[in-house]
Amino acid sequence: MALLELQGLTKRYGGIVAVDNVTMSVEPGEVRAVIGPNGAGKTSLFHLITGVVKPTMGEIVFDGQRVTAMPAFSRCQLGMSRTFQITALFPEMSARENTRLAAQARDKQRWRPLGGGAVFAEASRRGDAALERLGLSHVAERQAGLLSHGDQRLLEVAMALAQQPRLLLMDEPTQGLSVEETAQAVEVLGGLFAGGGLTVLLVEHDMEVVFRLASKMTVLHRGSVIADGDPATVKADPVVQDAYLGGYT
Amino acid sequence: MRMTLAVAVLLALLPLGLPPYAMTLLTEALIMGLFAMSLDLMVGYARLISFGHAAAYGLGAYTCGNILLHTDIPLPLAVPMAGVFSGFIGIGIAWVCTQATGVSFSMLTLALAQLLYAVAFKWTSVTGASDGLAGIPRRPGPFGTTYFSTKIGFYYLTMACLFGSFLFARALVRSPFGAVLRGIRENEAKTLSLGYNTRLYKIAVVAASYILGGLAGALYAPFAGFANTELLFWLLSGQVLIMVIVGGTGTLVGPILGAAFFLLVQQQLSTYTDSWALFFGVIFIAFVLFAPEGILGLARRRRSVRSH
Repeated sequence: MALLELQGLTKRYGGIVAVDNVTMSVEPGEVRAVIGPNGAGKTSLFHLITGVVKPTMGEIVFDGQRVTAMPAFSRCQLGMSRTFQITALFPEMSARENTRLAAQARDKQRWRPLGGGAVFAEASRRGDAALERLGLSHVAERQAGLLSHGDQRLLEVAMALAQQPRLLLMDEPTQGLSVEETAQAVEVLGGLFAGGGLTVLLVEHDMEVVFRLASKMTVLHRGSVIADGDPATVKADPVVQDAYLGGYT
Repeated sequence: MRMTLAVAVLLALLPLGLPPYAMTLLTEALIMGLFAMSLDLMVGYARLISFGHAAAYGLGAYTCGNILLHTDIPLPLAVPMAGVFSGFIGIGIAWVCTQATGVSFSMLTLALAQLLYAVAFKWTSVTGASDGLAGIPRRPGPFGTTYFSTKIGFYYLTMACLFGSFLFARALVRSPFGAVLRGIRENEAKTLSLGYNTRLYKIAVVAASYILGGLAGALYAPFAGFANTELLFWLLSGQVLIMVIVGGTGTLVGPILGAAFFLLVQQQLSTYTDSWALFFGVIFIAFVLFAPEGILGLARRRRSVRSH
């Protein structure tokens, strides 16, 4: 059974159809990339899945449960963790405190108003493990706002991993990085995904990145799905080449 | 912890050597300190800037005043009862105000506090309207003791409230709950996306802040013997916000120092001029420009300079 299913998802803003009758699914264990030219509706689709905006029509089903009307924070409690297109961190906290607060969100006693040493200990343990997985242990005590841009992006991924997500949602993970930083990030993320066990849905417009990371692709064009499949098939699809790749081979 | 204990011992010994008028001033400083510290929970830890915190103070004062005037409940019980009542109303106020964020949140806190001010002016049977409540007694008890009705006994009651509240507030900001508040302060959208229902956390911290602020107001009513609409007025909301900023936000201790500093300057300057507020305004601007971390931040900075 698919982990995430979108059924006829549509979002209209006035007369503009940003997302047009999108049906797709994400199977457990796959790394799926949603690609498309600017204005194809990638970010709108991402907002619908994470719960930032509500769809005009259609359904979102996560692990067999309808989540279409569920607020963003409740979807996260079901196991959907996300990263932002523009890095979102707690800049005055250390990297460790960032991942700790992320992990704490998964604890039943996350709201405990007094005491809570055990909550912190468990959250720190998970947070530190996530930092290590992304090779950030050496900057753990540094203030997040002072890290390099590349490390900040990775820290955000570490925060999502610290939540032990069932579905990791990434909005343009290499957005705003230099060529070298992008190469590094792809290296680290590629290693992370190769380890298996993660189900990922990422939105990305950088083709190099997508072909290096994704095992499955969905192509959006003007809000609709025009192709779906493994990278080699999608790349060879004449419809996709015509609409988007523009001779990229 | 050692510092807290040392300050507690010092404050406990002060009545032995101070003249009565200084005791009065000190008691008022502790009450104001508690009030400012309660606002720091919102402002310093969750970046919830309230322009209407007088609502908590006035609610506490009127509630405690009515309990003491119309029932036989002893003073040390009436005070926490009024604080809890203020906290309950705080939940309602927070529910409305957290519909908005940022400046809109601040404006809503101001609007609701002014609404309470207007109600206090009209609801004569409960608030005494423009006359206020006069002759609020310090009811004896529990177990028939009259100790808390005396000047020194009342001082110790105030001190106990301040220290109890401080220890509670400090545990709160160091707990997992407090960690989420800091998340909200730095990046609310991110905190929400991590799976925290940030609005509930905000309502909870406002309620806690209203309990402690209500406690301060509840102490003020029997301290002064009266409660009037000024305790709900926006001027007080502005003053307490200034105390928090001058003392140092997000420190709990700083705002207590800020309150004491404010009262001291007010008391000294007002013997020379009626326009003392003008001079305090200059001091406030100087703090914002040159020491935005407040009195406590200044003290810490000096200490770290000296140790290097």
